[in-house]
Amino acid sequence: MIVHINHISQSKKPKGQRSPQSEIAGLVSGSLMSLVEDGVLDPRLAPSLRIHLDWIQYKTNFRDPVIVRRTTNPQGQPMALAEIAIDMRQADSARIPDALAAAVRTIGQPDDNSAGHIYLDEFRPYRDCLLWNFNRLFWRHLGDWEASSGKGFEAALPGGQSDANHPRAVADAVADFWTLLRDLDARGQLPNDIVGLEIGVGSGARAAAWLDRFKALDEQCGTSFYSRLHFILGDYSPTSLERAMSAVGHHGTHVSPAPLDALNPEKTLSKYRFKLMYVHLTNVYDNLPFDDLVRRDGKLYLVEVRPYLNGAMVDALVAHFGISRDDLPSLVKTLLDGGPHAVFPGERGVDFWRRLWDTFKLDERLRLLDEGEDAHVPPGLNRTHLEDLLAEAPDDVRFHISRGAGESFANTLPLLHPRGYLQVQDIFVSDMDDYRKGFKGPGKLDGSLVTWVNGALLRAVGARAGYDVHFAPFPYRPGTKTSILYTTQRD
Amino acid sequence: MPEWLERAKNEYLSRRLSKRDLDEMHDAVRKAAIKDQETAGIDIVSDGEAQRDNMIDYFTERMPGVQVDLGSKRFYYDFYESVVRSKLATGTLGVSEEAKFLSKFSTRASKVSISGPHTLVKRIQNKHYQSEDSFALDLGRMLNLELKELVRAGAKYLQIDEPYYGGFPEDLPWALKAINAMVEGVDAHVTLHICYGNRYGKPSFEGSYRYLFPHILEARVQAVSMEFARRGDDDLPLFKEFNVPFQIGIGVIDVKTNEVESAGFVSDRIRRALEIIPAERLIVNPDCGLVRLPREVAFSKLSAMVEGARLVRKELGK
Repeated sequence: MIVHINHISQSKKPKGQRSPQSEIAGLVSGSLMSLVEDGVLDPRLAPSLRIHLDWIQYKTNFRDPVIVRRTTNPQGQPMALAEIAIDMRQADSARIPDALAAAVRTIGQPDDNSAGHIYLDEFRPYRDCLLWNFNRLFWRHLGDWEASSGKGFEAALPGGQSDANHPRAVADAVADFWTLLRDLDARGQLPNDIVGLEIGVGSGARAAAWLDRFKALDEQCGTSFYSRLHFILGDYSPTSLERAMSAVGHHGTHVSPAPLDALNPEKTLSKYRFKLMYVHLTNVYDNLPFDDLVRRDGKLYLVEVRPYLNGAMVDALVAHFGISRDDLPSLVKTLLDGGPHAVFPGERGVDFWRRLWDTFKLDERLRLLDEGEDAHVPPGLNRTHLEDLLAEAPDDVRFHISRGAGESFANTLPLLHPRGYLQVQDIFVSDMDDYRKGFKGPGKLDGSLVTWVNGALLRAVGARAGYDVHFAPFPYRPGTKTSILYTTQRD
Repeated sequence: MPEWLERAKNEYLSRRLSKRDLDEMHDAVRKAAIKDQETAGIDIVSDGEAQRDNMIDYFTERMPGVQVDLGSKRFYYDFYESVVRSKLATGTLGVSEEAKFLSKFSTRASKVSISGPHTLVKRIQNKHYQSEDSFALDLGRMLNLELKELVRAGAKYLQIDEPYYGGFPEDLPWALKAINAMVEGVDAHVTLHICYGNRYGKPSFEGSYRYLFPHILEARVQAVSMEFARRGDDDLPLFKEFNVPFQIGIGVIDVKTNEVESAGFVSDRIRRALEIIPAERLIVNPDCGLVRLPREVAFSKLSAMVEGARLVRKELGK
């Protein structure tokens, strides 16, 4: 068998003792050997069986502790290759032998549903998964969720807070921008209208902090940049826009809202083509649709997922609400179409939504990509972008095609003034080799999801659009996973 | 630029495609570009310049005295690292092949463009000349030979491309001296093309054309063509304010967007230009090269430009 250890623990442990991860890795190997000896696992299959040992860093996620990933040809017919993936964080060592035995038995039986899961859809690429319907539901009914959970959505982020609003980060960003304006002004090249844009406004706290700081610096330096500034708040969530506009209300007509799709800001803001002096995004790209690709033995596979409600967890759900398991698929449809109050009135509807989300999981399979297939190539990009990416990727790797981030980035760059300043704070994988060193999402947040962004893809997108893309660590909060993407004009 | 040709160019750089095969592709694309322009109704056609990786390398690779590091790029559109370490030698660059190609495959009037001295100075590392202006002047003298070679090959219309003026307005006095050295004794209709850059299909600079005046009046060329469609025509009155001695080429097609202008839109732009510039001194052209546009978009834009011009010509009784 081939064991892929996709995470090495960095935790301190007493010398001579084994970490929980190494305990599980040993248990997995021993259990599989026993399965061969017991005749459960065909010894002819054992040498090519791939075992992936992951450590999923998110407290909740979309995977059960032990899953089987089968492969299909481009038409969806079964192929021989199969993988067993184990989340070492969730795995219970007492249950590993039985879970592995069950997984091995189901490798050749794709229709087995002895766990009693309720499947909500067929296998589809991540980009087309029901997951995104849930994500949209969350942002549309954000206020309901927050009221029910008793905490704001930023508190649900892995660090418990957003790095967007860090005062020193904001002050430094403003200082850099002001310096740029001063330089352009000295050369007589500063436009009359200085236009800035924030995409994904959150609570509006960052925009307010940025504008306050910019105004103060402008007054302090005696320049007149603030009087020429127009700042656009862009978001697709009416709740967020309303909240953010309230936070920046004291800046009056210097600020305006723009309901926009983060995937294509250019569509809404086309009149600002090549005019924006400043664009900022925080934690937007990590919440946009993506695909997963896997390269095995030189072949490229697309990861397809099938959403289901975990069988064991569903029992508690139906008991709590006095409904039957058979009711669930139609109740999910009602929830996604009409919101939580269309399922049950008042707080009960939101409670149902939140509990249902806890049971929501994804099954995975790998579909071999046809040579001429290009549906996985995001809009605005082409196969050459992906070839650039694959050229720098290791041979055996699973990675994201951050199609939403790539599309958004490609559709934001045309808005930038030739000397404009674009900054993105997010969680980036800047080197393709890093995909082999740990799980990069998706992680499950309260009602939504988060996925690391393929920075190498954005670098390829930027290069073809005339920008060099750089990544700098976020130095303002120790231990944060956030980094800063910025662009410089390519010669 | 077709995506498949971009890939082929990159393959060539990776030594997975021979120069002969790539040249064959280039020739096929050039013929298609000529045919598209003829079909669209363009009066003065070019070969589309698909054989040029960009507006620098095509020339530096051919320049005696410029050292080019051929291993310095993987992506065809990037620039090679190039450096001049001694006085430029005198020699022709072989661009006249383009004029011969055009006369062989088209019966229309045709035009060949050459990157200007200022643009080249900004991209070639200078390790010999005392100053940028002395380097530019020497480049102007070298390129003067090339223009004359093009005329000998039958070229009647020539263009000098200078997209970097907007970023370095302070260079204008010496940049124009180099232009005048370049066109000295050249028996052809020479257009000086000035824009705000079209690298990667986006502008490199922004501002007003006012910086050009009055220096530009010293340019001994027959025409100056400029980018107006994308930027709007706020700067058009400058041609009235200053007594411009040459013809004016007005960009009426925005080459930085895939959105195709209608003929009516184009004709409106021409009519507005005619309020400032007399018809006999007005040339209608795209803002810049169409190399970053998909072929069908480029064709539609050129067709709209021709139709827009036809509408105005009809109104003028021409």
